[in-house]
Amino acid sequence: MMQRVKRYFRPEQLRELSLVFLILLIFLFFGTQIEGYFSPRTFNRVTSDVAIIAVVAMGETLVLLTRNFDLSVGSIVGLTAFFTGKLLTFNPDLLPVGALLFAIGLGAALGTLNGVLVAYGKVPSLIVTLGTLAIYRSILVAFPAGTKNVVTQDLPQWLLDLGGMQLFSIGEFDIKPVVAVGLVMLVIFQLVTSYTRFGRRLYAIGSNPEAARVGGLPSQRIVLFAFILCGAMAGLAGFMFLVRYGNLTPAAAQGMELQGIAAAVVGGVSTLGGVGTMIGAMLGALMINLLQQSLLRWLVISTFWVGALLGLMILISVTIDAVIINRLRNIWTQQGLEINPVDETKVVNEKESHDA
Amino acid sequence: MGENGAGKSTLIKIMTGVYHSDEGEMLLDGRPIRVNNSVDAQVYGLAAIYQEPMVYPDLNVAENIFISHRSQGVIVNWRKMYQEAEKILAELDVNLDVRMPARGLTLAAQQTIEIAKAISLDVRVLIMDEPTASLSAHEVEQLFKLTRSLRDQGVSILFISHRMDEVFEIADRVTVFRDGRWISTLPRGEITHERAIRDMVGREIEDFFAKRVGQRGEQLMAVRGLNKENVFSDINFEVYGGEVLGFAGLVGSRRTDVGLALFGVEPADSGEIILKGKAEKIHSPEQALRVGIAYMTEDRRQIGLTMPMSITSNISLPMLHQYLSRFGLIQRQAEEATAEHYRDRLSIRTPSIQQPVAMLSGGNQQKVMLSKWLNTRPQVLILDEPTRGIDVGAKAEVHHIINELAAQGLGIILISSDMPEILAMSDRILVMREGRQMGIFTRQDATQEIVLTAAMGQDRSPLETA
Amino acid sequence: MMRRLERLKSWEGFLLAILILIVVFNIFTTPHYLQIQNQINLFQLHIEKIIIVVIMTFIIINAEIDLSVASVMGLAGCVMAYLFEQGVPFGWCLLAGLMTGVLAGLINGFMVAYVGLTSLIVTLAALIGFRGLAHVLLENRSVGNFPDWFDRLGQQPLIGPFPLAMIVFFVFLIIALIILQWSGAGRHVYIIGNNRQVARYSGVNVRRVKMTLYVVSGTVAAIAGLLLAARLGSMRGDTALGTELEVITMVVLGGVSIFGGTGTLFGVLLAILIILNLRNGMGLLNITGEIQTGVIGVLLILSVLGPNIWRGVRDAWNRRQRIQRMHVGEE
Repeated sequence: MMQRVKRYFRPEQLRELSLVFLILLIFLFFGTQIEGYFSPRTFNRVTSDVAIIAVVAMGETLVLLTRNFDLSVGSIVGLTAFFTGKLLTFNPDLLPVGALLFAIGLGAALGTLNGVLVAYGKVPSLIVTLGTLAIYRSILVAFPAGTKNVVTQDLPQWLLDLGGMQLFSIGEFDIKPVVAVGLVMLVIFQLVTSYTRFGRRLYAIGSNPEAARVGGLPSQRIVLFAFILCGAMAGLAGFMFLVRYGNLTPAAAQGMELQGIAAAVVGGVSTLGGVGTMIGAMLGALMINLLQQSLLRWLVISTFWVGALLGLMILISVTIDAVIINRLRNIWTQQGLEINPVDETKVVNEKESHDA
Repeated sequence: MGENGAGKSTLIKIMTGVYHSDEGEMLLDGRPIRVNNSVDAQVYGLAAIYQEPMVYPDLNVAENIFISHRSQGVIVNWRKMYQEAEKILAELDVNLDVRMPARGLTLAAQQTIEIAKAISLDVRVLIMDEPTASLSAHEVEQLFKLTRSLRDQGVSILFISHRMDEVFEIADRVTVFRDGRWISTLPRGEITHERAIRDMVGREIEDFFAKRVGQRGEQLMAVRGLNKENVFSDINFEVYGGEVLGFAGLVGSRRTDVGLALFGVEPADSGEIILKGKAEKIHSPEQALRVGIAYMTEDRRQIGLTMPMSITSNISLPMLHQYLSRFGLIQRQAEEATAEHYRDRLSIRTPSIQQPVAMLSGGNQQKVMLSKWLNTRPQVLILDEPTRGIDVGAKAEVHHIINELAAQGLGIILISSDMPEILAMSDRILVMREGRQMGIFTRQDATQEIVLTAAMGQDRSPLETA
Repeated sequence: MMRRLERLKSWEGFLLAILILIVVFNIFTTPHYLQIQNQINLFQLHIEKIIIVVIMTFIIINAEIDLSVASVMGLAGCVMAYLFEQGVPFGWCLLAGLMTGVLAGLINGFMVAYVGLTSLIVTLAALIGFRGLAHVLLENRSVGNFPDWFDRLGQQPLIGPFPLAMIVFFVFLIIALIILQWSGAGRHVYIIGNNRQVARYSGVNVRRVKMTLYVVSGTVAAIAGLLLAARLGSMRGDTALGTELEVITMVVLGGVSIFGGTGTLFGVLLAILIILNLRNGMGLLNITGEIQTGVIGVLLILSVLGPNIWRGVRDAWNRRQRIQRMHVGEE
């Protein structure tokens, strides 16, 4: 029995379960603290924000799995949101699908630049994306098109409707398009990472880059794709950002890369590559955002604690991963071996009969 | 076969498309083929297994076998993959859970995965680069069994090894390389040890091991009941001046761990280390150096020397505090004088002591490492596999140096897997097995058979001589 | 190493050539460029950053990184400003600001050296966390009106034409130069950066070295933060945001490998001068700060990409030469 449990139930899942448990705990705690907390309103508000961060975090996870970093996603989100807003301001007749594709395409293009520099230029991803973090943001600032801000009045009506629309409701719990997109992405990328060759190779490369090279995996191309997808996801998040907020300054989504990485790391994605799931990243995003939203409404401490707590959460997560989860994983696999040892006696016996 | 630097590894890498050849061609079934990358190698059925297995620790066993398959579809069919992996492992007669992650598997199990991978690729030529280097005797036996059964299925196998006995046991034909050139290819029946050595070295070596008559001095170190949980337990021995104490055992016997405990890198949990009658608690390398213990690692490249830095700064490193002026600045002249001294004494062949260590040959690097530890003026010097991976000439030189040091009154602990070496060099031999001390044998009593029996765990009352 | 040394030498030569080019360009385009006051202004505008560059050089050579320096700068200034706002005597405020830096360094150092976490993620968490604390203290207020002597120290010359911050920088630079290039501690920093295992097995206390570096880094960042407060005359929660980008750019442009083990302060000094002059030139062309930052980003990427491409081209060339020679030999 224990063997079967061990085979299918891993420390990673244990970690995700405890995250779910913690999220529930946070939820219950603030329920006792904030009046009217257990309401559909809380649900609606939190889910929309989580959806955006989760999409960014999932993109970031693809890159983290390959043992790389993308610090530029915040700038990509800001840039695509802003430019898509501007595009719609000047071409109000553009089809919604066109605007969506524009955002995703722009994000993918920016991700491509990152990916090419990392995979083919052999520049460490930290350096590349620290650079592009500044470059993409300064492109946004340098953009000389009329007024600096995107404002709701200039945007077409369908976009504004999209933000308030309810796809369907369960009681008073609304599922907005933004949330639906987030969920669809979660399903797609969870499937991609566990059931496609590309997805599994992301894990392989992060797990042992040298083996990937010698074993003939097209590492460069896979890393490039990870960055492109990460950029495209950030572009999609940019579109969602525009839909949700409407009013944008050139500083839009500044620092979102930190939230994305924080969500992934809190969700159990390792910065050393090869470990982590999309569900984990989503749970991380949910936990971080729930905490942030709740702090905004909790009057006991200042809302400015949000940033400080975020840093603390990352530190605690990586410490737990290094100290507890890693140890647990080693114990797990070792016991697995004891259950199914290489049958030495058989081999030795055959050898003896062979000699005789 | 061939010494280090003979060009075997480079040849393999060219054959499997990791490196490219400038000229020449490769024939498969009589037809010339070009292998530009690992994918080509897969197509032609060439596969290589390296000394350090290349597994992905975070993927499970089945995925490790199939991840680099060219024919694997875009969508992963897990169920089919598990079935096929189980089938292949069953053919190999090994019992591994294909759903467990590769993390935490023994080296032998990891190698099995690599062999399974090769089989799943319908390999026709399998290259094994020193696959037995870190396996225990049992595991080697298992590996040989796998190798023979592959051979019987019609797979050609190139088996590369330093261990002559193994080559003679497994090979049908033996090819020797030297300095990047082909020297000879002979059927097993026609080749002898002497012939193989001559081809490898290019000259006859008459006296492989310098004989030495030891003069035992005072007791330098005594170890009582040394223990480290899950690693080793109840280790007891003494080291005398002017003596070489050999540590024999198979891989996994935890000899190196005892060395690391004595040097304070991974301190023991309990037990006493007595130096010249005084009990010392050793908790860090700094402190071990202060009380006169030095440990020379077996892993020259990763933990022995800083490759891009000069000979001088490598030698002075552990004793750097002795080369500092009052304000903490390095006195280069003193530092260089030391390096020059050891260059002469151990005849390190280099144009300058400012050469980066990376530019030296393996044997000379080994001598730099020896200098580094001699310069700490130790009472007890622990040498872990001091002749691994260096050529026969340099090996003899190192043996010479060890004898000289012992003659000067140093106590030497020699950890070695090279059975003839340890038998010839040691005054006494401590044999370990799986973290336990199996006995201490004197030079007169120790034969290869006795030591091996003890190392492999058959009962035989050891002759304690203290 | 020889080859790497050559590359480094030529890299420094390359930096020197660029620097001369920029300086000559500035001399001909800017009337008062060579005047001492202009040179001092050049430094003074970014003096806090380049003070941190000196210690960051040590950390990167040691094969680690500290992304939190800008946040520590901000936090130290904010702690000082917050206490000042609460009516604490100013001397104590300064001391508290300084101790904030020491504490921040202790936390980073402990996590990296003793818990054994990757410095990238630890200092990223610190970057977020310390910046968050700065916001907790000052919320969205701007706190100023520090004592006159403090503002004067930050804005006016102290000895001759040199303000305090510049003197601090040059003193730091000289001490750092001596430590890194000639002392035993400096040798340890290089060796650990090259291969920390070798250092550990040679009796070097790797943890202590790393811990010391992070504590010094935190302290220096705090000093820089206080100097910045003096120069600006006020503090906000987001003061010094994003400075780490430029600090790391200067170090990497100076020829220090991001993987540790190589590089010199001389190269870094050249990189500092190049970036300062470049900023000066861009300022004269009315290019805004945000865009200047973008240019710095480009420079950061190029400083690693450039040598990579150059090496690739050279290897390809050598390979071709070798094959050609061989063919000539055959005929």
